[in-house]
Amino acid sequence: MSNEQGDLLVILRHGPHGTSWLREGLDAALVAAAFGRRVTLLFMGEGVTALLPGQGSGPLGQKGTAPTLEMLEMYDIETLLVEAEALARYGLDAGSLMLPVASVGQGRIAELTASHPLVLTF
Amino acid sequence: MRYGILLMGAPYSSQASHSALRFAKAVVARGHALEGVFFYHDGVQNAARLAAPPQDEPHLVDAWAELAAEHGVPLQVCIAAALRRGLLDEREAARHGKQGHSVEAPFELTGLGQLVDLGLRCDRLITFAP
Amino acid sequence: MLLHILNRSPATSEVYRQALAAMGPEDRLLLIEDGVQGAMSTLVGHFAEVTGRLYALRDDLEARGLIAHCDTTVAVTDMAGFVTLTEDADRTLSWF
Repeated sequence: MSNEQGDLLVILRHGPHGTSWLREGLDAALVAAAFGRRVTLLFMGEGVTALLPGQGSGPLGQKGTAPTLEMLEMYDIETLLVEAEALARYGLDAGSLMLPVASVGQGRIAELTASHPLVLTF
Repeated sequence: MRYGILLMGAPYSSQASHSALRFAKAVVARGHALEGVFFYHDGVQNAARLAAPPQDEPHLVDAWAELAAEHGVPLQVCIAAALRRGLLDEREAARHGKQGHSVEAPFELTGLGQLVDLGLRCDRLITFAP
Repeated sequence: MLLHILNRSPATSEVYRQALAAMGPEDRLLLIEDGVQGAMSTLVGHFAEVTGRLYALRDDLEARGLIAHCDTTVAVTDMAGFVTLTEDADRTLSWF
């Protein structure tokens, strides 16, 4: 599932709605993919909450990020990883999230940051 | 070596802009090529041409412009992040029917693709964020 | 070997745990801005697993009056040293 040959690793560490970090991090990932780069997404910490099913729009019609996440496959962003420790902290199961993801432990995260030519943290 | 900087903090709100500027000067002083500074997230506020800080504080907008003038460093501002936050150059102001503009050269509004390009083209990309 | 840059204090933020989780066995960690609080003797224990690979930016320690509180196990570096650290590393990652 994970792709060590990816060009870009985008680490998303914030949830939806509260700040624009998640949306702007996803935008960077989508643009890179649109330019033909192979993108790996890693949801760390609070970022795993971006994948909760049943999200809605926010106050004043704030769009949220779930619709963007649903488009990832269209952009050929298929390597979606989540931090195992964060899943445990929030009491979530990888299989219950809105998209198919692979859970990764601490050692694997270090390998991912080492193997991608470009890593962006949001 | 070829360096790039990604700045995501607003000036006068966090230390990110100061850190990025000091690092930029240190990179140039070491003889490296600074290939660009990309402003994203709240970092786009660094391009606000109307910023008027008190005289006893560093003028960060001017400092970036000086860096560009002295060392030819491109100052690239994410257009999507900028427009949302009211940062428009003359062309965008006209396009959106706005009086006046808030971004001017050497800052240039550009797409996020430039960030990816900068990151993959440079030997090092250093991120400064709030 | 990567250089990780952390600007949050371990006393107020858990972001340092994300940085540590992403560090490989040779990677280095540089504390800048409010992150330099982590170099204080009372807080440096949070970084026990990277002892000998922990750096702190002198300008930010001095500006905060923390230079005298900096633990002896932390390598204090100036801005030129910051650049050197980025030269020595294959890449950098920022944690904020």
